[in-house]
Amino acid sequence: MTTLRRPRVIYTNPSRAARPKPEASGTERFWWYFMRLSGLALVILALGHMFIMHVLVVLTGDEINFAFVQSRWGSPFWRIYDFALLVLAFLHGVNGARVVIGDYVNHRTARSLILGVLLVISGIWLVAGMAIIIFFDPSTQSVAGPLS
Amino acid sequence: MINLFGYRLSWAQLAWFGHRASGLGVLLFLFLHIVETSTVLLGPEVYDFTQTFYQNLPAKLGEVLLMAALVYHALNGLRVIAMDFWPSLTVYYRPLTYGVIAATIISMVPLGIIMTRGYLPWG
Repeated sequence: MTTLRRPRVIYTNPSRAARPKPEASGTERFWWYFMRLSGLALVILALGHMFIMHVLVVLTGDEINFAFVQSRWGSPFWRIYDFALLVLAFLHGVNGARVVIGDYVNHRTARSLILGVLLVISGIWLVAGMAIIIFFDPSTQSVAGPLS
Repeated sequence: MINLFGYRLSWAQLAWFGHRASGLGVLLFLFLHIVETSTVLLGPEVYDFTQTFYQNLPAKLGEVLLMAALVYHALNGLRVIAMDFWPSLTVYYRPLTYGVIAATIISMVPLGIIMTRGYLPWG
């Protein structure tokens, strides 16, 4: 009689669509949990954002322009929503890219170099993104921007 | 099993690859989205001009692709979370994977139609 033998991988990496949970506690274990918890929040935040911008706006005949952003970021709720979405999506995405790079780039120097560049660029972009949400002034009535 | 150019791919491999590809794609757009949104600080003229870049058919199709990537990444991510935290769900590994792929395709039909509204032959 043949007995069914399940591959060992099923128990160490149940989902088989992502990394197995790091054995040792520490930074890698933290990011493993972070990806799953931020992912859970992002299902609501990111899909909600896409649903508002590409379904509700279309169905209500609205248009995404300066006035739209003005009224939207005039409300603290949407500003906090967008800020949380930005930070979580960015950390989730950059950490994902870090894992992918670690999986495919075997050359040590090349890997450190690519990861360093990713980290520096991401840092600049994230700070810039946060600054946009924080410093945008919804009460600006001025029609003349610096470039117009 | 799927046969792609002589390579035998399992749905598991495809689900893994799809999760990474969609994730990297969305991250790339996120970088672009921050640059494009930054023009909101330069006043209405500049921002409204930037937004016209999205108002054409190729951009709309790109938005549909972005939506598909996000929907798949979200659903597959929920599957990953569920199976990582409740390993007993491994028994339903196959139906869950097929379910994620099917749900993505099915939900993209109405979403795609709504998002390309105005560019469709009857729109």
